[in-house]
Amino acid sequence: MLTGVISLIAIIAGIIILFFIGIGIYNLIVSLRNKVDNSWHQIDVQLRKRYDLIPNLVETVKGYAKHERETLQNVINARKMGIDAKTVKEQAKAENMITGTLKSLFALSENYPNLKADQHFLRLMEQLNGIESNIAYARQFYNDMVMKFNTRIQTFPGNIFARMFNFLSRDYFEIEEVLAREPIKVKF
Amino acid sequence: MYEQIASNRAKTVFIIIGFIIFITLVGFAIGYYLDWRYGISNNYSIILMIFALIMALIMSFSSYYYSDRIVLSLTGARPISREENPRVYYMVEGLSIAAGLPIPKIYVIGDEGMNAFATGRNPQKGVIVFTQGLLNNLNDEELKGVISHELSHIKNYDILLGTIVVVMVGMITIISNIIFRSLIFGGGSRRRSSKGSGGGILSLILIIVGILLILLSPIIATLIRLAISRNREFLADSTGALISRYPAGLANALKKISMHSEVKTASSATAHLFIANPIGEKSKVMFKSLFNTHPPTEERIRRLENMSLGVGIK
Repeated sequence: MLTGVISLIAIIAGIIILFFIGIGIYNLIVSLRNKVDNSWHQIDVQLRKRYDLIPNLVETVKGYAKHERETLQNVINARKMGIDAKTVKEQAKAENMITGTLKSLFALSENYPNLKADQHFLRLMEQLNGIESNIAYARQFYNDMVMKFNTRIQTFPGNIFARMFNFLSRDYFEIEEVLAREPIKVKF
Repeated sequence: MYEQIASNRAKTVFIIIGFIIFITLVGFAIGYYLDWRYGISNNYSIILMIFALIMALIMSFSSYYYSDRIVLSLTGARPISREENPRVYYMVEGLSIAAGLPIPKIYVIGDEGMNAFATGRNPQKGVIVFTQGLLNNLNDEELKGVISHELSHIKNYDILLGTIVVVMVGMITIISNIIFRSLIFGGGSRRRSSKGSGGGILSLILIIVGILLILLSPIIATLIRLAISRNREFLADSTGALISRYPAGLANALKKISMHSEVKTASSATAHLFIANPIGEKSKVMFKSLFNTHPPTEERIRRLENMSLGVGIK
């Protein structure tokens, strides 16, 4: 009788302890997920800055290089793709395109000495360069957070909670080519 | 990382409580002495103890909120604008994003020596201070290494502990100086006019001075050593390398810095904040081992160079 009561108490105590440990793990996963969201927001801020500058840049280049319609159109299309992107993968793809098209736009400016000398153009180029490297830094922080979150929900005991509460692994913000990591080189 | 933050917070609380207890005890000791001289009925011990307690509370409170400003003015640092040095602003901004920290304020010390430190009570109030010599002599990768090192001090809350220690240790030194002087000089003049017996007072003064000295020196030494356990420099080096993703940058920076790291406005009270020892080798012969605030630079460079990237991010 007595041993029965004791073991009953022990079992109840065990369940309570497990319950509290469970709450702790659940909260940890949620706070990691919030960190991932927040770090995504940091990337987003930088991306929006870039979207805002691009129309300005296109207008400036148009004034000097009317015949480069195709390159300009590529930049505009890439920007639109970035704005419309829904998932991290789409976003990453669009951003790679923007970086690439901007690069060819800057390369093109080599052929137009007047454009290269334009103060407005130079400032825009400098700003875009700064944003470019900030995007790289923000992406680094985001990917660190994603790695932490994914590891937590893919390993025991997080994986049990992930299945119970439907936590899904997040996508890394990846760049296609190693070269794209380098900021655009400004030549004078 | 999180253990480090928790341990820094705990140490800060411990130091503040230790400070309050110490000041209160000093007040009580002085009161006890006055009681003994002028009679228990005056209750000097209780009054002075309460007075000291209130003073200690005010001092700890203000040192929590103002210690960063005190440290900045002690070292003669001034804020610089983005226009003055856009290069360092861009780097600090980018690396703060990579570390997931709010962007700290940037200050400069007009000194030719190469050094840097961080202060502030939390990441939201973070400040990074560079010497002019550092900004002039390091290339981009090296400067990024230094910035990342300082950002990891901010992230770990090393800045809170380090900064509070400066102010608390400074206050204790000043208070003990005042007591020491008033006991030696003030006591002498009072002795002639009072009815107390000369020999007894003299011996008591000696006892109190002795106790104070005995109490003070290990406390100050322990406080400093607690705050600067040299491991935190290694830790900030490695966390910094994770932020900048380029340990060689900091390693090269340390090589350059170690050749000329003296900062004129730095003192033994603020030395532990800096990335490399800012006090010339000559001036610290006596307490070299006791006050060795920084690990040997060669060891730090060696560890950075051995660091292989991509080995887990904490």
